[in-house]
Amino acid sequence: MTLDNAHSDARSAIFASIRDNLAASASFDAIRNEHHVHAASELALTGSTIRDRAEVINGFRENLKLLGAKCAFVENEPEAADRLSEIVNVLNAKKIVISDSELVHRIVNASGFDAVQDASREELFASDIGVTSAQWAIAETGTLVLGSGAERHRLVSLVPPVHVCILLTGSIRQSMAEILEIADPDANRTITFITGASRTSDIELTLAIGVHGPGELHVIVIKDQ
Amino acid sequence: MKVALFVTCLVDQLCPNVGMATVEVLERSGCEVTFDERQTCCGQPAFNTGYRNEAKKFAKRFIKIFENSDMDAIVSPSGSCTAMVKHFHELFPDEAKWRERAENIAAKTHELSGFLVNVLGVDDVGAVSDCKMTWHDACHGLRDLGIHDEPRRLLKNVKGIEFVEMENADVCCGFGGTFSVKYPEISAGILDNKIEMIEKSGADTVVACDASCLMQIAGRLSRIGSRVQTKHIAEILASRE
Amino acid sequence: MSMTHATPETFDRNARRALADPILHRALRNLADNFVVRRRNVILSVDDWQGLRERARSIKEETLLRLDKYLEQFTENAAKAGTTIHWARDGKEACEIIVALVRATNAKMVVKAKSMTGEEILLNEALEEAGIEPVETDLGEWIIQLAGETPSHIVVPAIHKTKQQIAELFVEKVGIDKTENVDVLTQTARKILRERFAEAEVGISGVNFGVAETGTILILENEGNIRMTTSLTKTHIAIMGIEKVIPQLADLDVFLKLLPRSGTGQRLTAYQSLITGLKKDAEDIGPDEFHVVMLDNGRSRMLAHRVTRQSLACIRCGACLNACPVYQQVGGHAYGSVYPGPIGAVITPQLIGLSKAKQLPYASSLCGACREVCPVKIDIPELLLHLRAEITEGSAGGTTVKARLKPKFAESLAFKMYGLAWSKPAWYEFGAKVSRLMQRLVARDGKIGNVGGLISRLVPPLGAWTAWRDAPVVAPKSFREMWRDKENDAR
Repeated sequence: MTLDNAHSDARSAIFASIRDNLAASASFDAIRNEHHVHAASELALTGSTIRDRAEVINGFRENLKLLGAKCAFVENEPEAADRLSEIVNVLNAKKIVISDSELVHRIVNASGFDAVQDASREELFASDIGVTSAQWAIAETGTLVLGSGAERHRLVSLVPPVHVCILLTGSIRQSMAEILEIADPDANRTITFITGASRTSDIELTLAIGVHGPGELHVIVIKDQ
Repeated sequence: MKVALFVTCLVDQLCPNVGMATVEVLERSGCEVTFDERQTCCGQPAFNTGYRNEAKKFAKRFIKIFENSDMDAIVSPSGSCTAMVKHFHELFPDEAKWRERAENIAAKTHELSGFLVNVLGVDDVGAVSDCKMTWHDACHGLRDLGIHDEPRRLLKNVKGIEFVEMENADVCCGFGGTFSVKYPEISAGILDNKIEMIEKSGADTVVACDASCLMQIAGRLSRIGSRVQTKHIAEILASRE
Repeated sequence: MSMTHATPETFDRNARRALADPILHRALRNLADNFVVRRRNVILSVDDWQGLRERARSIKEETLLRLDKYLEQFTENAAKAGTTIHWARDGKEACEIIVALVRATNAKMVVKAKSMTGEEILLNEALEEAGIEPVETDLGEWIIQLAGETPSHIVVPAIHKTKQQIAELFVEKVGIDKTENVDVLTQTARKILRERFAEAEVGISGVNFGVAETGTILILENEGNIRMTTSLTKTHIAIMGIEKVIPQLADLDVFLKLLPRSGTGQRLTAYQSLITGLKKDAEDIGPDEFHVVMLDNGRSRMLAHRVTRQSLACIRCGACLNACPVYQQVGGHAYGSVYPGPIGAVITPQLIGLSKAKQLPYASSLCGACREVCPVKIDIPELLLHLRAEITEGSAGGTTVKARLKPKFAESLAFKMYGLAWSKPAWYEFGAKVSRLMQRLVARDGKIGNVGGLISRLVPPLGAWTAWRDAPVVAPKSFREMWRDKENDAR
């Protein structure tokens, strides 16, 4: 039997089993008052109060702090570059890898450091800091949202032990629900949500930071001009 | 109000004074109480162990005995037995008429503390006691019937009582019917956690609305030589000294 | 014999062994104490927790009632985006598919992200047999892989181990100096696993949710190993139970509010990855091949009855384990199955057959704590009772797994006699009088102590009870006798 035949056999068998078993349950379903079945599209988003921008941005800042992520809110790109320089110097970082974001390019150039884009695997694993931007952010949880359609972020935001993320205030939304509404999964084949540093509680439920992903997260938020 | 007493087989045979106390409390609260001697058991042990055919027989018998009375309510001193009555309808998946009769009976059946507070609107029955007591939330009463605030209100109004809330009051005592003898070691392990919390609370009396939980807890307290007593809520509410 | 080779059929023995283990007792106590507090606190950060649970259950119910339609939609959309879809009727078929896919890449090693579905189909064994090395990268999974054990919890696989045991394991298997410092242990694991990631070409993961509307999969984690597994490699293979599909992207909001809170007491896990097919640009980061293996393995059968269908709503959060007084006593290995705890007690018999797991539905006091904490409102006690009826009578109104099980003769007889005798008040009262007589043999000072020996063998329940607890005596006068006296006095 070729792989294709086996495949279509398995598919047919599984669908047949699903349909047969659903049919068998029909009589029992008729008896009990079922949980009220909502068509998924009818489910309204939970009432979100209208918040003004300042509230949203502040919420983001507060929740980042709660996560232990270091954050800086700056007025413009030169200030962002200064902040980046501070981070690099404090960490005494030598090898910086960056994504293909134009914003990141500008900031890194302004800071005067050397950085590698399209780093190889070896370079990634040997690097000290990874710098990316973020397409969106979620205020209610302090989450960064990175879409692969706009930026090649997957490894630069993951492999280095430190992740620096630069974004604009205009990218911040209040809730996850909003992001799910606006993010296009076809344009962005990978959407990554980052909430704080990598962690685990696998050993006696004791928290340990920095397991596989970065153990340190720095966020630089530039005021939208 | 006319109340038909559903005394439960456990109370009837093992702690009949709880039954007498229940009658006393109901009468003191202005109810006229009758007891139909045809009743035996709600069939919970059979249902819980998977013997639905046996359980169905008990359910039908119960429904037949209680449905024709001109009682306003059926009241029981047991959370788990009351919950069983609420589950009767599950025994008749193919019998719509019996299901309807089961649902009608269920609507009229209440556990004692829930009946006093929610139906009669009474939370002070004029009881007096000098215990330092803590409440154990029996699982069926709590999760099937929603009994939580009612007994606490009733007990806190007992004159002379000191009420302490124990940690993990809402955690199982480990009885679970036949579970207690099918897996006695696990049952005892869960029970020991409950005993630990009782002792930590400093209470001298543990109170609950289920004689089965009290039997489980009392059995261990007695075995370890503890001074802590167990009392059914009916006994506390009936006491006048 | 190691605990991890226990089976569901020996649950009672497994449980007794677990109860005699003081280290396990400490570890489980730690879990229970921590979990209650964390969950209670984090639920406060949601406006309408009960409303959320209700919505989640509705979404799941809607999906399961039309599972064929949503699976079609999911797989079509996933395929349009470049996913290669495979179908596996059972675990064996799934392993065959996956081994063939790995062989086609010539890789001799695969990095694995934690997947309970992978455990269910015994994937690691199949890979090893094929000469492929599976490297678990989740810290808890890696720890138990080192120890040669199976996971004892759905979310925290090594929770049965204390720091000391893990420290000793690292000394033995990794060769570092003994330390119980969690940061040191974690960094040691990180360093070793990074070396494996650096050379990994094939990654295998599970799937938390599959979105029908867009063909997207969602995977949640805290460590970052799943992102590594799915981003560094050239080939990503994901194994997905057919019940994981949900209708719309917007539905994820509900589950993302429920799952992290219920599973780990967090508002959100550190990372979520939404993956839709393959990268659009060949030059982009990410795998060149993406496969999803759709697994049945007994799931479609559970659709046959309203009560069993809810088993498929499970989102594998592990909250029921943490809340269960039985799990807290015996831990996960005692269940002898991939899925332990309350959810394990109900799906294991349905997945592997009632006859192979007939103790599990009875390993519960029916307290309902699991039902209370379940984010998708699965009524586990209802399911347990349904399975008990199937085991005992072969009928609970529609069976899912028909099994002709030999009834336990003595118990069956006892219940029939109870049913018969207690249908007549006269016989019921006679039985009570007989008990009053018989108990004189064993009662002292108004109670019954440890009966032991012969009586314990003749009346096993009495022996089982009194081994740990005193038993009450049947009262000299029953309530109905007192009532009659009262009535007579009144006349």
